[in-house]
Amino acid sequence: MRATVNRVVLVLTGLALVLSGAVVLCSATGLLHRPYTGRDDVLLSEGDRTRYEGTSWWWPVVIGVLALIVLCALWWLLAQVRDRRLRRLAVDADDDGMALLRGRALEEIIAADAEQLHGVDHATTALMGTPTAPRARLQLALSPNAVPGDVLAELDSAVLDRARVSAGLPLLPAEARLRAVSHRAARVS
Amino acid sequence: MSELGPSPLPPRHRSRRRRFWSPRRLPAAITAALLAVVAGLLLYDIAAVRAGRPGMAWRRSLADELATRPLDDPWILAVACVAVVLGLWLVVLAVTPGLRDVLAMRAGTAPVRAGLDRHAAELTLRDRAVEVSGVRSARVTVTRRTATVRAVVSFRETEEVRADLAAVLAEAMEQLSLARPLGLALHVRRMGEG
Repeated sequence: MRATVNRVVLVLTGLALVLSGAVVLCSATGLLHRPYTGRDDVLLSEGDRTRYEGTSWWWPVVIGVLALIVLCALWWLLAQVRDRRLRRLAVDADDDGMALLRGRALEEIIAADAEQLHGVDHATTALMGTPTAPRARLQLALSPNAVPGDVLAELDSAVLDRARVSAGLPLLPAEARLRAVSHRAARVS
Repeated sequence: MSELGPSPLPPRHRSRRRRFWSPRRLPAAITAALLAVVAGLLLYDIAAVRAGRPGMAWRRSLADELATRPLDDPWILAVACVAVVLGLWLVVLAVTPGLRDVLAMRAGTAPVRAGLDRHAAELTLRDRAVEVSGVRSARVTVTRRTATVRAVVSFRETEEVRADLAAVLAEAMEQLSLARPLGLALHVRRMGEG
């Protein structure tokens, strides 16, 4: 969602920049005759700038649009830094009840389980999504001689499966990034 | 020095795993901050002038510049060029996936989407390569399509080492379990040569 918004706004901003720059360049080289008349024209003449100042709507509209831009930009900026991890998730208890599980608790369990895997040096987990449909995001630092394919298979069959069962989740979609801990080559000679 | 071009990819392991897409947080944050600052300053000054206070000097001089400099003024042209380049760059950022360092891995049965860092792939292949007897050192570079392995051989016949290396690396690359298997470019040279 946030990624989509980011990309849409970036593409719109980019197109606006390209378009305005291109209009000026094309007008200056005589390729374009509107909205500017020629290379001697100016970007914003005194008359254009003050054209609507006499009307009653001009300033309220300018101020309103600017305020809207400021608010949207601040919201957009905050969305980039906000922690979107799941605080709680709903666990189906046996007796028709629902229990709440702290997101951090499950994150720590998954990370600790993942660190037990052969070939995993260090693991961090973040739970995202909604309380009833959580998603896990894992970062695994691989130790020397890890086999990435095996790590992934075990992650799926042992770690995530255990998390699914213990939290009573029918599904726990996960995204894993496997990195390496830099190390020197251990040469056999 | 003998060479082997990228080998053809085994077709049976190609699976339709989508690439990892960057959320583009940093460009978004910078654009948002700039927008907020520019619009906020303008809003503040306009409101101040509306409230009867004197406007800031930069707005008066900016209005003067805009009203006097012709379109073919070097400054105007420079700013227009910068706007075009910056805009194109933003568009490219918006439509490309980014995260070129993350290689998508093959899916298992469960809904796990995994990506392997290029650097991790390089280290794994290097570790396997130096285990081959006769290999003194190996440098591995992994791009999105190809793993290039440069090995230095200290003893044994170069061609024998090459064959062993090719077999070991083929197995190691299989174990990386990438959605799009890498091609292998293997360069073997004897120590002290080339």
